[in-house]
Amino acid sequence: MLKSLLAGYAAQPGRYDELLASPHAPRPHWDAFLRALAARGASGVGDTLSLMEREVRENGITYNVYADPQGMDRPWEVDPLPLLLSAQEWQAIEEGVTQRAELLNRVLADIYGPQELLKSGAVPPAVVFGHSGYLSPAQGIRPPGGRHLFHYAADLARSPDGRWWVVSDRTQAPSGAGYALENRLVVSRVFPQMFRELRVQHLASFFAALRESLLRWAPRGGPGDGTPLVALLTPGPFNETYFEHALLARYLGVALVEGSDLTVRDGCVWMKTVEGLKRVHALLRRQDDDYCDPLELRSDSALGVAGLTECARRGTILIANSLGSGVLESGALLGYLPSLSEQLLGEPLKLPSVATWWLGEPAAFDDAWKRLDKVLIKPLERSSKEPAVFGADLDADARTLLKARVAARPQRYVAQEWVHVSQAPVLERSGASGREALGARTVGLRVFAVATPDGYRLMPGGLTRVAGDGEPRVIAMQRGGRSKDTWVLSDAPVNAAFSLLSSTVTPADLVSSRANLPSRTAENLFWFGRYGERADAAMRLLRVAIEAQLDEGEIEGGTAALALCAKLGLIDEDDDPALALLRAATHPEGALAERLRQLSRVAFNLRDRMSADHWRTINQLIGDPVFQHDAASAAMRLPLALSWLDRAVTSMVTLSGFVLDGMTRGTGWRFLSMGRRIERLWNLAAALQTATREGRDQGLDWLLQWADSSVTYRSRYLVAPEWLPVLDLLVRDELVPRSLAFQVKGLAEYVAKLEVTHGRFASDVVAPGQAALAALTGADLRPESEALAAVLDQLQRVAGGVSDELTLKFFSHAASRSVLSLVA
Amino acid sequence: MPGTVRYRVEHETRYAYDAPVSQSWQRARLTPRSLPWQKLLVHAIDIDPRPDERHDGPDAFGNTVTHFGLHGAHRRLRVHMHCEVEVGARPLIVEAPQSWESVRQVLRQGSAPIDLEPARMVEPTVLLPLSEAARHYAAPSLARGRDWLAAVSELMHRIHDEFEFEPGATTVSTSVDEVLHQKSGVCQDFAHLMLACLRGHGLAARYVSGYLLTEPPPGQPRLMGVDASHAWVAAWSPQYGWVEFDPTNDQLADQRYITLAWGADFADVVPLRGVILGGGTQVMDVAVSVMPV
Repeated sequence: MLKSLLAGYAAQPGRYDELLASPHAPRPHWDAFLRALAARGASGVGDTLSLMEREVRENGITYNVYADPQGMDRPWEVDPLPLLLSAQEWQAIEEGVTQRAELLNRVLADIYGPQELLKSGAVPPAVVFGHSGYLSPAQGIRPPGGRHLFHYAADLARSPDGRWWVVSDRTQAPSGAGYALENRLVVSRVFPQMFRELRVQHLASFFAALRESLLRWAPRGGPGDGTPLVALLTPGPFNETYFEHALLARYLGVALVEGSDLTVRDGCVWMKTVEGLKRVHALLRRQDDDYCDPLELRSDSALGVAGLTECARRGTILIANSLGSGVLESGALLGYLPSLSEQLLGEPLKLPSVATWWLGEPAAFDDAWKRLDKVLIKPLERSSKEPAVFGADLDADARTLLKARVAARPQRYVAQEWVHVSQAPVLERSGASGREALGARTVGLRVFAVATPDGYRLMPGGLTRVAGDGEPRVIAMQRGGRSKDTWVLSDAPVNAAFSLLSSTVTPADLVSSRANLPSRTAENLFWFGRYGERADAAMRLLRVAIEAQLDEGEIEGGTAALALCAKLGLIDEDDDPALALLRAATHPEGALAERLRQLSRVAFNLRDRMSADHWRTINQLIGDPVFQHDAASAAMRLPLALSWLDRAVTSMVTLSGFVLDGMTRGTGWRFLSMGRRIERLWNLAAALQTATREGRDQGLDWLLQWADSSVTYRSRYLVAPEWLPVLDLLVRDELVPRSLAFQVKGLAEYVAKLEVTHGRFASDVVAPGQAALAALTGADLRPESEALAAVLDQLQRVAGGVSDELTLKFFSHAASRSVLSLVA
Repeated sequence: MPGTVRYRVEHETRYAYDAPVSQSWQRARLTPRSLPWQKLLVHAIDIDPRPDERHDGPDAFGNTVTHFGLHGAHRRLRVHMHCEVEVGARPLIVEAPQSWESVRQVLRQGSAPIDLEPARMVEPTVLLPLSEAARHYAAPSLARGRDWLAAVSELMHRIHDEFEFEPGATTVSTSVDEVLHQKSGVCQDFAHLMLACLRGHGLAARYVSGYLLTEPPPGQPRLMGVDASHAWVAAWSPQYGWVEFDPTNDQLADQRYITLAWGADFADVVPLRGVILGGGTQVMDVAVSVMPV
C-alpha cells in the first residue's frame, strides 16, 4: 500500500523534497505518518479526503476572493496531509524568526522615533518615505510597552540545499493564524491517533500568549476604566479573511467590532453597546492602517474610527500592530537587514531573506539586468496592481519594455532571486483512475510570532500554503491555492490537550461579554430571530400546502393555505399551484431559498457569537442537494420537495434548540427572542386573518398543522377541528407557544425587563394590544367576529410598532453613516 | 522690500447643516508658524458651539494642530481664527550656482548626517502620485547642467505664463494631469503641479499654505489668491535651504507672504478637516481678511 500511495510521487531534481530523502526513501520524521496512512488502505484514504471536504464545508471555513465573481464564501481548501517538521529543524526556524521580529521592532521604533537609522543612511530615507506604508501622522507615537510590532508573520520558503529563507514579512495586520488554527482543528480530527502518537506541538499556548500580552500592555488609567476591554477590529464580512476574524474573536474571547461600533471621546476609544459607551483598551486590528482613521489617514475610508490616531498619540490604547507598521513590508528593506542586525542586535541575522535588491540603488539596477534570468522583478508596494515578473519568461522585446518601465522609477521596484522552492505531498484524486494518491506541490510556510515580556514567541506550527496547478512558482491564497496544517514534532511529551475555549474563560469573562453587547450585534441578533422565524413559517406553510396538493381531500383547507402562501409572498396567486409551490420550496431562486439566504447572511454577521454546530446546521440548510436538482415534472418532484421540507423543519427545530439550550439569557438573547416573537405574532395574525376570511368555509386541519398544534388539539378535544376550540388555542391560550397570547405576553415581559435598565420605549405599544386580546370573550371566537378581526389587525400593528421602537432606541446609532468633509 | 510688516489676519469657516450633526471631530491647522522671519504676536481660535474637548499639538511637520470634538447635536459650526503676525525679510539668497543634477545627487545619496526634511519631500503622496505628464512638462526647464535656481525659477515662470488663473475651474480633488490638460486652475493646483514637476525629477519641494494682503498698498497691483488662504511651493537645495516660489504670482515669497503651515501636499495642511455623523447636506463658507496693522 505504501508503494502504491507513493507511486505517482516523484522528487524533482534541483528542488528540496519535504517528504523524500532519496527517490524511494522517505525522510525519517515522515516514516510513522506514512505507514499509518498506508495502513488505512485505499478506501480509508479516499474517506479521509471526503471527510476533510465535509468538515470544511460544514464548518463554513471560507476565504473571500475579490476578483472572483463567485468569490464570496469560497470554501477554504485544506489538504489533509500536514507538513511535518522535526524538532531540530523547528528550533532553527524559531530562533531565526524571533530574532527577526525583535530586529524589525527596533527598526520600526527608530523610523517613528529618532530616525537615527535614516540620518546615518543605514536605511536610505527613500526606502521609508517612498513607501506608502510610512504614515507621517504616526511619527512620534510611542506604543504601550514600546512594542510597535506586537505580532508578526513571516513567509518562509526552502531552497534546494534545505535552508529556510524569508520571502516576505507581514507586519501590519498579519493574517493566517486563525486559518492555521482551523486547519489544525480539522486535520487533527481526521488523524486523531497520529496526531497524538507523533507528539505534535499544540497551538493553543500561542493564542494564550497573544491574549495575555494584549491584556498586559493595554493601557490602564483614565476615564471609564475597569477590566481592560479588548476588541478585534475587522473591515467587515466582505473582507477576504473575515472568517478568520470571527474565529479569532471567538477563540480569544474578545469583541469583534467594525469601525462604526467604535467612537472616540476625550482621547479614548469607546465601544457603542446597548448598555452605553464602554472604554476599549486594546485593538487587535485586521484593517490596513491607512484605513484606520478617516480624520488623519485616508479621508475616503468609511471603515475606520475617526480620531484613533490621536488616541494612539495620547497613549490611551494599544493598537496591534501600531499605525504605520506596514512600512516594514517594503521589499526594499530586506537587503539592509543583515547590516541592521549587526548594528542593532550585535549579532548576525540568523534567518536570511531571499536575496533582494532595491533597484533605487544604481549598482543594483545594472546588476539586475545582467542576471535577469535568475531574478523576478516586483513592485515594492504589496498593494500594487503590477504582478511580479519572472525575467526568464521574457523575450528580448518584453525585456526592453520592462527595463524602460522600471528605469522611469527604479526606486519603486526590487529584484528578487528566484528560489526553487521545496515541494511536499498533497492528497488528491488522480484524474485517470479516480483513486486517491500523493501529488507533489510547491509549498511555502507562514509562521507567526507575538511579543511577550520574555521576547517574541513563535506559534509552534503555522500555515503551509500550497501553490495552485497553474503557476507552481507563485503561492497566493488570492490565486486559489490550498493550505495545509503544519505539524511540529516534538522529542518530549507535549502539553496535554489545552484549549483556550475550555480552560481560560472565567465567569467574569462571561459577565463582561454580556455587558458589552455592541449595538450592531444586538441588531443582528434581533434579525436573526426574525429571519429564522420567517424561514420556519415559510417551510411549514409550504409543507402543508404541498401535502394538500398531493392528498386531495385528506387535508382540509388547501385553498386557504394557498391564499396564505400568496399573502406571505411565497407564491404568485395566478400561477399553477403545484408548480408555484414546487418553485417556492426547491428552486434556488425560489422564496424559501431566498429566506434561507437572508437568514444565512445575518448569521454570517454573527459568526463570532455562534457555535460551530449552529453554523453547520445553517450551512446544511443552504447547501441542501434539493437546490441542485434539475427540473423534473411537478408530480414527480412534489414528494421530493416534501421530504426536503421535513428535513428543513427538523433543522430549524435543531436551530431553535441551540438558541433555547445553548445561549446565555443575556441581553443578546432577549433581542433574538423579541425578533422571533414579533415575527411569529405577525405571521400568526396573518394566518388567522386568512383562515377567518378566505378559509371561513374550509376545514382547520391546515391551520393546526402549520401552527404545529395538531397534537395539542387532539389531546384536548376528541372532535375534528372546530372554530371555537381552535381559536381558543391559537388566540387566547398563553401556554401554547404558537398562540397570539403567548407571543404578546413574552414581548411584554422582554420589553418590561429592558425598560428597567433603559427607560420606557415600547410598553405603550404592547399594553393596549395585550388588553384588547384579554378583552376577547368566548363569543368572539368565531370567524365572523368583528372584534376578533380588529384584534388581529391591532396585533399586527403591535408587531411592527415594537420593531420600530427597538430600532429607534437601540440600533439607530449603529446605522447612521459618517459623512466626511474635507474642505479648504 | 525692507523692514518688517505687521498684519492682522482673520480666517472664519462656517458650516450650516440641514440635518443635526450628532458627532463631529475636527483638526484645524490655523496657527501661523513661528519662523526666524515670522513672529506670532496674538492668536486665538474661537469655536462655536463650544467644543466638548480641545487639544493642541504639533504634527509631523511642526505645524500646530487644534484637535477638537463636539458630541452634542448641532446644526452649524463656526471656527474663527484671528491673529497678529510680524513678517520680516527671509534669508538673503546669495547666488552660488549649482547644477540641478548635483542637488538631485545630494538627495539620492547624501552623506551622513542626512537632512530628513528635504528627503521626505521627494516622494510621491496619495494626493500627488508620480505623474509622467508633469515630468515631461518640466523637462525643458531642467535642461542638462542648468543652475538649480535658474531652472526652478524658469519652471515657475512657465507655469505662471502658460496656465490661466480661474477660480472654479478645479476642485480639491482635481489631479495634476487634469490641470496640465486644461491649462487652468487656482493657486493650489499650480503649487501641486510644480511639486509634481520637481519631485518627478528627483528634487525636493514642499507645499506651503498661508495668506497674502487682501488689499494691496496704493499703487501696487492686487495679487491673485487673496480671497482665501494662499498656497505656494518651497524648493530645497543644499546651498540655499528652502526657497519659496509662488507660481501663481510668479515671484519669490517676501514680507507679503504669511506662512500658516507646510507639508507634502494640500492634504497635510488643510485648515479644517473633519469627520461628522449625520448632517445631511452641508453649506460651507470661508472668509479671510488680511490687513496691515
